[in-house]
Amino acid sequence: MNDDLVIIITAGLTATACGLLGPFLVLRRAALLSDAVSHAVLPGIVATWLLLHTRAPFAVIVGGAIFAVLCVLAIDGLRSTGLVRSDAAIGLVFPLLFALGVLGVTRYASGIHLDLDSTIYGEIAFAPFDVWTIGGVDVARSIVVIGSIAALNLAFVILAWKELKASTFDPGFSQTIGLRPQMLSRLMLVAVAITAVTAFESVGAILVVTLLIVPGATAYLLTDRLAVMVALAVGIGWIGAVAGYWGAVVGDSSIAGTMGLVCAVCFALALLVSPKYGLIATAVRRRRRARATATALAAER
Amino acid sequence: MGWLIDLLPLSYTDAVVVIGAAILGLTSGVLGSFAVLRERSLVGDAIAHAALPGVCIAFLLTGAKDAGSLIVGAAFAGIAAAVLMVAIERTSRIRPDAAIGVVLSCFFSLGIVLLTYISSQNNANQAGLEKYLFGQAAGLLERDLVVMAALAGASLLFVAIGFRILKVALFDADFAGSLGLPVRVLDVAMTVLLVVAVVIGVRMVGAILMVAMLISPVVAARQLTHRLRTLLPLAGVIGAGIGIAGALLATGSELPTGPVVVVVGFCVALAAVLLSPGRGALWRARHVAAERRRAAFEGVLLEVETAMHAGPPPTVAELRLATGRPRAQLTRTLRRLERAGLLRRDGAEHRLRLTEAGAAAAHELEQRRDLWAAWLEHGASLELPDAREPDPRDVRASLGDDVADRLQELAT
Amino acid sequence: MSGAAALEVRRITVSYGARPVLWDVDATFPTGSLSAIVGPNGAGKSTLLRAALGLIAVDSGQSLISGHPARAALDHVAYVPQREAVDWDFPITVGEVVAMGRYRSTGWFRRVGREDRAIAAAALDRVGMAAYADRQIGQLSGGQRQRVFFARALAQETPLLVMDEPFAGIDARTQASLLELLGELRDEGRSIVVVHHELATVRERFDWALLLNVRAIACGPVSESLAPDMLARAYGTGAEALQWAG
Repeated sequence: MNDDLVIIITAGLTATACGLLGPFLVLRRAALLSDAVSHAVLPGIVATWLLLHTRAPFAVIVGGAIFAVLCVLAIDGLRSTGLVRSDAAIGLVFPLLFALGVLGVTRYASGIHLDLDSTIYGEIAFAPFDVWTIGGVDVARSIVVIGSIAALNLAFVILAWKELKASTFDPGFSQTIGLRPQMLSRLMLVAVAITAVTAFESVGAILVVTLLIVPGATAYLLTDRLAVMVALAVGIGWIGAVAGYWGAVVGDSSIAGTMGLVCAVCFALALLVSPKYGLIATAVRRRRRARATATALAAER
Repeated sequence: MGWLIDLLPLSYTDAVVVIGAAILGLTSGVLGSFAVLRERSLVGDAIAHAALPGVCIAFLLTGAKDAGSLIVGAAFAGIAAAVLMVAIERTSRIRPDAAIGVVLSCFFSLGIVLLTYISSQNNANQAGLEKYLFGQAAGLLERDLVVMAALAGASLLFVAIGFRILKVALFDADFAGSLGLPVRVLDVAMTVLLVVAVVIGVRMVGAILMVAMLISPVVAARQLTHRLRTLLPLAGVIGAGIGIAGALLATGSELPTGPVVVVVGFCVALAAVLLSPGRGALWRARHVAAERRRAAFEGVLLEVETAMHAGPPPTVAELRLATGRPRAQLTRTLRRLERAGLLRRDGAEHRLRLTEAGAAAAHELEQRRDLWAAWLEHGASLELPDAREPDPRDVRASLGDDVADRLQELAT
Repeated sequence: MSGAAALEVRRITVSYGARPVLWDVDATFPTGSLSAIVGPNGAGKSTLLRAALGLIAVDSGQSLISGHPARAALDHVAYVPQREAVDWDFPITVGEVVAMGRYRSTGWFRRVGREDRAIAAAALDRVGMAAYADRQIGQLSGGQRQRVFFARALAQETPLLVMDEPFAGIDARTQASLLELLGELRDEGRSIVVVHHELATVRERFDWALLLNVRAIACGPVSESLAPDMLARAYGTGAEALQWAG
């Protein structure tokens, strides 16, 4: 397969996996919890290496997910004491975990084959060089791994669609009809964690957050339908993948960084020109209303 | 600065690092309060991430790695990020958390693109900019310390002078507005203070971890005092302590300073949350458990009394059926009643019977409960000398004998 | 268990910290009647509902729905909580909200079937909102929003409806027509328990009332439980209470 295509597809699948979950995070006001979870992945990778001496995808995903769950439980625990607000709890826990990860990497860097740069920039440029042979066909490993995670997320969102919708919209009500909103929200964060671990390799820790939050927030500005919102978020992610890769090649820059920038530009555009909730549309509507009121009042007089 | 460095029993480089960490901890402790107490801690995270592109742009413009200009760049970017967050939040349907996430991601992406661009320029000078990601204390110069100290001094002075105004704005912005205080300006001022704390610290701790330095000293200090007047200096002192301890540990074990300082900060905050006297989580858990035990103790006492009035003294099984209490709780409570001499078990069936002391205790308890019931019924019509409220466990002690007597009269 | 009350709480005590919000409350709400929970601010009305449905932990006491422990019988209840918590910007349509009423009977991981959709549509029609099914929930007025949540509760098709201050901040016309609807539902044999603060409406429209002020002051037919002496005990004997009672 063409190297460029491998990278674009890897990036696109990463964006798909993130875009499927992002809208729910934005709607649950848990955007920053995803930030925390994606940072918690780093110590998970380090711990997996120290315990099992492997960086095989499955082991790393399990290790990362365990730490992500620990992160969420720690935040919940701090919050439930009533002594620490939820923002401060998030801001206490994830730097701790990330710092532990950084310390692990600096201490055991040679063993882990993971340098700190890759936690920031990702290693997507190397995606074409790591190939698995499946049934006689060479497929880039990253496409297989991230593709399956994207498929898992898709299955999760489709299967639990109405449960996710109800528990996000009205947790109190969904509890009375037996939907267990807290369990669903934990499940959601586990999915975020698994996505973050896998995406971590290609786009790095911080840009996972970008792909989780920015497309979801952009889609939120564009539509009033949940299904459309999810589809748009995935679409915006793909725009980021394609245009971001092109930008990185042209500008000789980090692919992860340019992907993030393209998503940022999409957000800015939506913020300005969204037909319903954009700044321009709102301003025009307000102006029109003011004028209509003025004419009506004048006519009355 | 030189004299201070000479004063410390450390090598020159270590002394610089320790002093730097102390300044960083002091300022982020005091200035972080303006984020944590407004429940906007993570705004500090976005500002810290924004420092990265700020530093890069400053470097591109000046072509030099001069501490002063890089700090100015970081500060401008931080303020731009803060303004954008507020703008997105105010003008669109995007919520604060998503606004923080969006701004943080955008600035950080920009920073990474700029960083890769700069490193592709093969400028001999560029090495070291990526230190702003994870922070690096080594290589800190005395000159950097002077800049940090000057910024810290100016901002702390500002806080000291404007303390009373800031306090009102912090506690109740609407009320501050009704007093005619320029709320918007104060809001901006507090954000600028946060930016100052970030730019002082970001070189040492790094953009990603900086937020922890803004939060942990304040969380720790908050557990130890209820007064803002003591909270701010206390957070500063705790922050400085965290900085110094972290820096010493890091230089001792040859680990990077930033992450070590963050880990130390978390441990301090956690210890305060768990252990602070009268407020800490462990202390409270013990208090709640004691309270539960007392409620069960009194409840079972009354239940045995009721059962004895209704028929023959109950067996444990009968009592459990009648009250629906969990078995373990009931057994434990009965044993405690026995030990207190309020209860005994009679005959082959071990029927439960109150002792004389037990009957007296039950009677007294009932009287206390009646008083509480009387309060619920007549409390509204009772004239009290002040805003006192009854403690349901002991209405007489909390309201005073006089009021309690009147309540009793009203009840009969 | 026939003949059991629609909702019964036995000796429920709930406290936040050391302060009891509910104290040893006994109350029964008979099947097939329109019942109100009445009491001054801070009397624990909402807490009683939530405790009765097993949504919050109680210090002691138990709660029965049609004679069964509440937690096991939640599928017999449709609960309409107070509305502040809802996110009106949520990308969801009126029709989708009402369809949520069918989620329990649909089961996990399954789509809402045609039959269930028809039930939801009928519920929406019954509150006069059929024309609004495709609107986003935030585009409705306060009264219309409340109608939607009534419709969702109707769609649950449960024998017991429990509502927490459903008329707070609602315009008079909507309140009148929803009260009308509650009456119809009662006549169809459903049991309804509503937290409500307007004594006049309760007197006029409801059959049964619990007068609550941390303790249960009175529980019975409206004429008895809301007698002036009872009200005085709940609200105090000040001028305000007399006005209420008058």
